[in-house]
Amino acid sequence: MLSLLLQAAVDGILLGLIYTIMALGLSLILGVLGVINVAHSVFIMLGSFFALGLLTLLHLDPAVSFVLSVPVFFLAGAAVYRLLIQRVQRAPATIGILVLFGLMVVVETAGILLWTTDTRVITVGYSNLRLSAGPVTVNGARLVAGGLSLLATAAAYWFLKRTLTGRAVVAMADNRDAASVLGMDVDRLSMLIFGLGIAAAGAGGVAIGMTFPFAPQDHIQWLAWAFLIVIVGGLGRVESTLLGGLVIGLVQTLAGVLLPFSWVFLLMYLLLLVLLIVRGQGLAGARRREL
Amino acid sequence: MRPALEPAGALGRLGQDLVRLRRRVWAPVGALVLAGLVALGLVSDDLALLDSLGVIFMYVVLTQAWNVLGGYGGYMNFGMAAFFGVGAYTTAVIGHSWPVSPVLATAAAGLASGLFALVVGIPTLRLRGAYFAIATLIVTFAVELVALNAPFTQGSLGIYLKVLPLSPLQTEQLFYFVFLGLMLAATVIVFLIERSHFGWALVAVREDENAAEVLGVRTTRVKILALLLGAVMAGIVGGIYSYRVLYIEPAGTFAIDTSLNVVLMAVLGGAGFWQGPLIGAPVVMAVGDVLRVAVASEVNRLIFGAILVAVALFAPNGVMGFLRGVRGRRFTI
Amino acid sequence: MTATAPELRVEGLEAGYYAGQSVLRGVDLRAAPGKLTVILGPNGAGKSTALRVLAGLLPPAAGRVLVDGHDITRVPAHGRARLGIAFLPQGRSVFAALTVHQNLELGGWILRRRRQDLDRALEAAYERYPKLRPLRDRPAGSLSGGQQRLVEIARMMIADPRLILIDEPSAGLAPNLTEEVYEELARLRVEGRTVLLVDQNVRAAVEVADYVFTLESGRNHLEGDRERFERELGALIRAWLRV
Ligand SMILES: Nc1ncnc2c1ncn2[C@@H]1O[C@H](COP(=O)(O)OP(=O)(O)OP(=O)(O)O)[C@@H](O)[C@H]1O
Ligand SMILES: [Mg+2]
Repeated sequence: MLSLLLQAAVDGILLGLIYTIMALGLSLILGVLGVINVAHSVFIMLGSFFALGLLTLLHLDPAVSFVLSVPVFFLAGAAVYRLLIQRVQRAPATIGILVLFGLMVVVETAGILLWTTDTRVITVGYSNLRLSAGPVTVNGARLVAGGLSLLATAAAYWFLKRTLTGRAVVAMADNRDAASVLGMDVDRLSMLIFGLGIAAAGAGGVAIGMTFPFAPQDHIQWLAWAFLIVIVGGLGRVESTLLGGLVIGLVQTLAGVLLPFSWVFLLMYLLLLVLLIVRGQGLAGARRREL
Repeated sequence: MRPALEPAGALGRLGQDLVRLRRRVWAPVGALVLAGLVALGLVSDDLALLDSLGVIFMYVVLTQAWNVLGGYGGYMNFGMAAFFGVGAYTTAVIGHSWPVSPVLATAAAGLASGLFALVVGIPTLRLRGAYFAIATLIVTFAVELVALNAPFTQGSLGIYLKVLPLSPLQTEQLFYFVFLGLMLAATVIVFLIERSHFGWALVAVREDENAAEVLGVRTTRVKILALLLGAVMAGIVGGIYSYRVLYIEPAGTFAIDTSLNVVLMAVLGGAGFWQGPLIGAPVVMAVGDVLRVAVASEVNRLIFGAILVAVALFAPNGVMGFLRGVRGRRFTI
Repeated sequence: MTATAPELRVEGLEAGYYAGQSVLRGVDLRAAPGKLTVILGPNGAGKSTALRVLAGLLPPAAGRVLVDGHDITRVPAHGRARLGIAFLPQGRSVFAALTVHQNLELGGWILRRRRQDLDRALEAAYERYPKLRPLRDRPAGSLSGGQQRLVEIARMMIADPRLILIDEPSAGLAPNLTEEVYEELARLRVEGRTVLLVDQNVRAAVEVADYVFTLESGRNHLEGDRERFERELGALIRAWLRV
């Protein structure tokens, strides 16, 4: 039993790292820009297909796709910000949500038209590799995905904490007006953060694609998980998201040891409900879009 | 910053003239249209026409249901399919298993959807802002999972209902008039809400929730009540819908198309106006009818999604906003 | 003292927060170079609104903003910082989660590509406001109201602005701190910067002022130099209190 739990803990931590990068964009965009990105998970789905596409077309290893996904999805996110979000930044918040909902539908449906509703998996040489250390066995793909996610999360942390631009982002999140009169171009900084958030979603999608089956219409599950992680961890800070991701990863794998598989999902949704009730008021302080 | 919500000069004046005109003629025209629809339902034997109109009426009800919280309160519900679907499954499960009168079963559908609204609303509507929107998406997904896996829904096989003992024309007429009546009722309800204390409280929540709270509006209660009301309406419609289609399965019942259509109809017609759904539903259904012959349903959804983005960006107050020359909303800071 | 102080001119300013509802209805102002100009007026007159327009935070519906004759009406807020314009908004505006030092660093955002200049400016700020040195690594949000105000002022001064817009700098401060704030304002004028000050503390403001404007309900009301206002002050305040 102990080794079973140890095994679950290791699996849970790796899973939690993957979840962290998967949820990071939702947390950043909400925490810094006050925009709840209901289209977050379609970019995760696109990330998975990005890796699959590069694997089948160019035989690129998903680890390479993970790195490539960052600039590609950053540009996509920046474009979405410029074309859609910036236009409605000054309008009532509901309009921005409507736009993102429309975007979600369009991208999801385009995904179905391109790739059908079939479920896919990414299989590479190390997908089924099992590495053993003492009583613990680790799946190769999960190890690679978890490691890359940790690196990406660390990079995001470093950017926000250790660079002047990162601190400008924190300042903007706190007081947009005060930041802009000091010379910060808040539209550009917002575009940067939106781009980074989508980049994290895309990279998270690659990591998810390495570890789980995926299909265009099933992305909402990841929206639910990302939302859960944001609620557990809190908003806008990388370390909060890491905490939330690890907690959810561990809860899910430990629950998987103790409960039948189909119950785990139910448990996670129940957890979401309970946490919303218990922790919700803390989130109510989520920054509003007022300047 | 341009005052984006002010209609451009001459066009805006035209719009306001139209409104003034409409104010004077509205009641007789409304009565005339209603009388025409009743007469049509009595004399027409065009099954396809009755069917199409019935679907439009149904969507008007769903859109009015959305309008209460979404239009007046400004809380976006992207999961109308879930409330509709809970109602549909309620009558389907009941009708499949027990010889219960459809009227009772439909009442149960409204009740079930209302209970479901409380489960969704109490945790999420205590929060400010867009948490509710994201939760409605997740809830739709979760309910579909339940319908696929619960012991009483027969999973992806779906549920068949017994055919009603009526001729095809009688069946069409029945649903035509049921949905026409519901449309009338829902519109009257929303019309009354717009002029009630409850409606003003919702608008206050939409415009500035902090200020509303300071002024003594019990915002959480108002929001939950609005969701509840809409959910009961949607549940009743869903309950009737399963008697109409006689076969219910998870993927179709909880399809995002229903949620998308409702949002699009509301926003296009004018969210937060009781007339909005009466304008938006027929327009969107007409566009859908044109598309249906031309493209696959996914392409249809893609186009509707793109239209929603365009409407939200360029005409967020819809047709009614244009007619009214909406002003007064914050346009800059 | 690298550049000379600019002149600020405002002509026919109209602005508001809602479509069709003007808060400012044709306001003309002038801040003479190197002088301290004060805007007074009752609550809700539109003083803060005028400063927000001047800082580029609120686009005006009509009117022009001129600095040394150049039209900057369409220059966004972040671009105005580069023109040597600084704005200290009403109420608290420190970045609470960041340390005092990080706040100051961001005050030098426009110098960020010239790291040495920035470091020199930061050091100069600690010289100028020695009270901040021991607070350097404290989160700004944990400071007292007066300390936060000091951080805000120091942060504003990092970029060595030539035209300074200040909104109610002494609001909510203890009397001795208020005094310090007005000493600082006097110093800014001595240094030859152009200052436009909005204040509720009418007597203290007029005392440091070179020239005074008053606004009422979004329109110009009175204007004149200090001597004139010192005489009429009592009547003015009584009139406003009745408003
Ligand atoms: N953010 C805002 N949104 C909407 N209306 C505003 C906003 N800020 C100010 N107003 C309105 O604009 C008008 C002028 O306000 P402003 O803050 O410019 O006055 P003020 O002269 O600075 O007053 P005070 O001395 O109280 O600071 C007021 O009627 C106020 O209600
Ligand atoms: Mg003010």
